[in-house]
Amino acid sequence: MAVSTPALHDALADLVGPAHVLRDPVARTRYAVDGLVPGVVIRPADAEEVSRVLALCSSERLAVVARGAGTSQDLGNPPRRLDLVLELGRLAAVREYVPEDMVATVETGLTLAGLAAHLAPHRQMLALDPPAGGARSVGGVLATHASGALRFRYGTGRDLLLGARFVQADGTLTWGGAKVVKSVTGYDVPKLLVGSLGTLAVLVEATLRLHPMPPATRSWQVALPSHAAARAFLAALLDSPLQPDRAALLDAAGLRRAGLTPDPVGLLLSIGSVAEAVEQQGRALEALASGHGGRTEGIADAAWSRLGAAVDAPIRLRLACEPRRLLDWVAEAQAAARRLGVETALLAQPGHGVIQMAVWGSQEPRRMGAELVRPLRAAVEAQGGSLILERAPAELKGDCETWGSISPEILTIMKRIKSEFDPNDCLSPGRFVGGL
Amino acid sequence: MSQSVPVRLGAFDAQDAPSMDGLRACVHCGICLPQCPTYRVLGEEMDSPRGRVYLMRAAAEDRIALTPTMARHLDLCLGCRACETACPSGVPFGQLLEATRGQFERRGVTAPQRDSATLRFLLEVFPHPGRLGPMLHALRMYQWSGMQAVVRGLGLLAPFAKLRAMEALLPPVPAPAAPLPEVVPARGRARGRAGVLLGCAQRFFYPDVNADTVRLLSAAGYEVVVPREQECCGALHLHAGRIDDFRAMARRLMPAFDDVDVVVVNAAGCGSALKEYGHWLPEDAARLFAERVRDVSEVLVDADLPLRPLPQTVTYHDACHLVHGQRVRAEPRSLLRRIPELRLVDLPDGELCCGSAGVYNLLEPEMAGELGRRKAARIGETGARVVAAGNPGCLMQIRQHCRALGLEIEVVHPVTLLARALAETEIAR
Amino acid sequence: MPLPPQVLRELERIVGAAGLVVSREGLLTYECDMHTFYKGAPEAVVLPESAAQVAEIVRLCRRERVPIVPRGSGTGLIGGAMAPEGGVMVSMTRMNRIVEIDFANRCATVEPGLINLWLSQATREGGYFFAPDPSSQMVSSIGGNASTNAGGPHCLKYGITVNHILGLEVVTGAGELVRLGGKTHERPGYDLTGVMVGAEGTLGLITGVIVRLTHLPESVKTILASFSTIEDASETVSAIIRAGIIPAALEMLDEVVIRAIEEGIHAGYPKGAGAVLLIELDGPVAEIEAQAAPIEAICREHLALEIRVARSEAERALLWKGRKEAAGVFGRLTPNWLLQDAVVPRSKLPEIMRELQAIGARHRVVIANVFHAGDGNLHPLICYDDRVPGELERAKHANEDLLHACLRLGGSVTGEHGVGLDKCESMPLQFAKADLNFMARLRRAFDPDSIMNPGKLLPSHPACGEGFRPTARPLPTGTWI
Repeated sequence: MAVSTPALHDALADLVGPAHVLRDPVARTRYAVDGLVPGVVIRPADAEEVSRVLALCSSERLAVVARGAGTSQDLGNPPRRLDLVLELGRLAAVREYVPEDMVATVETGLTLAGLAAHLAPHRQMLALDPPAGGARSVGGVLATHASGALRFRYGTGRDLLLGARFVQADGTLTWGGAKVVKSVTGYDVPKLLVGSLGTLAVLVEATLRLHPMPPATRSWQVALPSHAAARAFLAALLDSPLQPDRAALLDAAGLRRAGLTPDPVGLLLSIGSVAEAVEQQGRALEALASGHGGRTEGIADAAWSRLGAAVDAPIRLRLACEPRRLLDWVAEAQAAARRLGVETALLAQPGHGVIQMAVWGSQEPRRMGAELVRPLRAAVEAQGGSLILERAPAELKGDCETWGSISPEILTIMKRIKSEFDPNDCLSPGRFVGGL
Repeated sequence: MSQSVPVRLGAFDAQDAPSMDGLRACVHCGICLPQCPTYRVLGEEMDSPRGRVYLMRAAAEDRIALTPTMARHLDLCLGCRACETACPSGVPFGQLLEATRGQFERRGVTAPQRDSATLRFLLEVFPHPGRLGPMLHALRMYQWSGMQAVVRGLGLLAPFAKLRAMEALLPPVPAPAAPLPEVVPARGRARGRAGVLLGCAQRFFYPDVNADTVRLLSAAGYEVVVPREQECCGALHLHAGRIDDFRAMARRLMPAFDDVDVVVVNAAGCGSALKEYGHWLPEDAARLFAERVRDVSEVLVDADLPLRPLPQTVTYHDACHLVHGQRVRAEPRSLLRRIPELRLVDLPDGELCCGSAGVYNLLEPEMAGELGRRKAARIGETGARVVAAGNPGCLMQIRQHCRALGLEIEVVHPVTLLARALAETEIAR
Repeated sequence: MPLPPQVLRELERIVGAAGLVVSREGLLTYECDMHTFYKGAPEAVVLPESAAQVAEIVRLCRRERVPIVPRGSGTGLIGGAMAPEGGVMVSMTRMNRIVEIDFANRCATVEPGLINLWLSQATREGGYFFAPDPSSQMVSSIGGNASTNAGGPHCLKYGITVNHILGLEVVTGAGELVRLGGKTHERPGYDLTGVMVGAEGTLGLITGVIVRLTHLPESVKTILASFSTIEDASETVSAIIRAGIIPAALEMLDEVVIRAIEEGIHAGYPKGAGAVLLIELDGPVAEIEAQAAPIEAICREHLALEIRVARSEAERALLWKGRKEAAGVFGRLTPNWLLQDAVVPRSKLPEIMRELQAIGARHRVVIANVFHAGDGNLHPLICYDDRVPGELERAKHANEDLLHACLRLGGSVTGEHGVGLDKCESMPLQFAKADLNFMARLRRAFDPDSIMNPGKLLPSHPACGEGFRPTARPLPTGTWI
């Protein structure tokens, strides 16, 4: 195996400097992906080094997995093979930031917290807040299409990424998209890369659309006594002129873990605007809530950063359904967990039909698969939705496969794309949908 | 020094050629497309105003000759001018169309699908009261005698599409009305002398509309003149491209209205043609005549007619040559709203042609039928019991298609409603 | 070169005689879209009525190596819906139904030929609208909007078309009928929907669209502020954005355009102002009231001559009618025009406006301006008269200078109209060879035989066009507006 040859290590050391080539076997286990330990871990300094490293990997047919902060490395099938982990933490510069344009170009190893600190003095923000996201890298968040409560108003990385610089499997440094908020020049390559789990290219630089931080913000927890009440309230909220910027729906278990009042269903909302509008909408919100049997209490802004804790479990499923069926699937998920006898907590994105389901308990993987994952997945897929294993031990992934089914025609097209850009199957091989 | 007169404009000759400036005004933006009835039905570029202007311009630039295929696309055009209302650049589509049709007419280039026989028949009979009258008398006999019921019941005309279309369209022909008095005095405060155009179809099919027009004008304070010596305004000939014939008719008509202040028209198609006399006839008299022409709604809206309640739900259909040809949109609605307890409901696609378009529904029954069906469906959806329109052709077409749809709905001219509501006893002395 | 007879027979079998146009006159009317500068008539036009028919057409054309050019309402400005290499033009105008409106999921499923505005009219009563509002929305089709990723004045707040598309049914260049995306907002796999939007028909034909519906705002406030100079107006725009206010729309018009609009549409714009800003705020009442005051203050700080607030829906509609139909009134301004679509970063707006004036003076052409100032997207209108010798040349030089100036300031080759044929050869100004090569290979993954809208979007290079029947139709000269 080429990876273990000293010649290869020397070649890599030439590219990034010996200090940034990690060979020690014990240290390398930290970088294992689903139990596979890479032969070497490389920490390049910048895009050019990434380019050279990938060129070398390509000529040696090495299997590479890119890594940001490493917090969502477990999303995906176990790699078919793994030779090298490319750790991008050193690419953390803010390349360009013109506050007046509300656009920033950053290297993808920069963490969300790092970026936020840079933007805060100008009262601007990147509207992406995946749970426990502060420590996550921009690249990781984009590659996994992670999102949080701010999705309610601002969308996801798909909507916020304007341009991207990336390195192809053969090392070619490439650019796609634009640096301005409005451009329709050629294919929207950034969209192809968001959520692609590093299987088509390695992102090194992202040009992001920013938003002004609202002058005033207030947050509330609306407590609802039942699923039915929650469904009705949510429908009324979506149909109202209220414009919350953050929204999250949790069950009692989720609320408890997040340090909030454990109502049967709790809808967390924040409204950011000029102070008068915040007050006025707050009052309207309270009225709407009580009209549906809900109780409203103010919560601190800090509550939002505790949402990660709500669903921090060794197993986490991510279910996507039609937005109007959100509460139905919340109920389904809870029922399935009860039947199997496992503890669960739910965090959902209202208006978008996405539920993160954290699962604890020591059921063996085959039972977990047969009685929870697979039946739930089949049921939601029958309605055009999906259920993926956002995080799971390798045995469960082996039993259930991370992604679920995909239409053969669409997979065919995706395979054509993959083989166009990674003909040697070097980038995150086998980790993605359909074994891509 | 002699002025050079262009002999040709591409494939056109210089006589009544479509205006090159008009053709060049089109910026190809397509805003006219969704307003065009034939584009709505067919979805094809060459049966849209933009496409038709493009073909005319291509001919003017010698890119294509005048061909039967091009003639077909022009024949399919209703001449409704909805495109003119939509066009931000001011392309004079109606005039371009008529000029181009004139060119085709003179060259004798016709589309094979054109029903030349029917067109010829219509152009020779309709505009001549002396010929139309007797023909309608025969038709009345046919209807009254029960033959019509037999023919319809047995579907005898089924194989004859055009004949069937004509037969289905024509409403019961009323018994010939007593001729209107030549002068009717003004009631109330005098405003001037108003001459009334009787119209060809109107005077035979809807004589009561003319009678109501006279009555309302008089109540509005006009001394009403109904010149005996009036024939046709020439609109049908103009729309068919027989421009010289049209001019001759115009010149015969104008003197009849020499000594009135305003020429009042209650048929949209006629009003539109009259208002364009100044464009097609070079003499000053034509322009001055045209400036005196008004639709009856334009005149009555300025009067203060006393009206009694008519508790009905009414919807209003904009006759093309009123809303697009003359830009008269608000006046009829304003008048109807003045009738107490009358509820006026909006007609979706109210400005979309019903398919009548002069004699178009007799020449192009398929397209006209599709448009008529759509119009009737929209009318049905309003829930109104009465639909008002300011043109006899529209009244016939809408009536036919509402009946085909099984709608219990009365189809009337707005003046009919106004006349019904008119509080005779309260007209100011 | 005419299509082989068996191809025509097959096409007629698929769409019926009433769905096939082969007459010379008919094909002539399809030779261009709104950008009449680029003309290329197809060899046949088909008007399918179902996705199944579209799939058959694509498969036939792939077998016979015949190029395909999709067309919606033909109102694009980039030479997208014309056929420079002949072939079959597929007009989607007869597939124009609303298939379903799903208010509970806040989405609607529509056929591609549906006119943009008609959808918003249909959903209005339910309290929703389709947010992308290009100025052409009263005639452009949703399929066309998706194909070019159309913008519009309100995309400043609401985003562009791709942000409002949940799914697409397409027939790829390989002939596969597939459903991308759907009513759920995420799914595993690559974002093929995101790639297809804005692909300008080069990857496949759109046969169905699932769009996101947006709730109508609680209230709207439309402000017209007039200024003596364009500089004052552009500085005002920058200041508003700097203050952290994102209006729903922020449009600028200069005096040349205002004059034409008033002549043609009588929208109530103030004559004699050097520039006007049309600012629209929408949202909760308290929010827009609180934003209107600082906006008015900023306008006054920058020497606004007049600040007018639309007092009724009718007044508001008229102000917008003027803006939306501006493209149409150009015919009153000038016999001919070149409309440019370029972008600069917002912060560079005052600078590019100064550059524009200099370029106009340098080339002795009048440049009128109407554009989406809020996101730096300009539409300079370069006026000329093709009957006057030399004017077109000067206009073209001015056009080129202006595009280069925008790129120099960090902008983009096109803001919202797309690339089509018009900006194809300018792509290398913004993208390196590797970038263009990436896009070319992406195209190949969807359209392996290069039949979909050839000659558009990406600059031609020798590798493209192989497998084609050669065409010999040059662009006709001397016949453009």
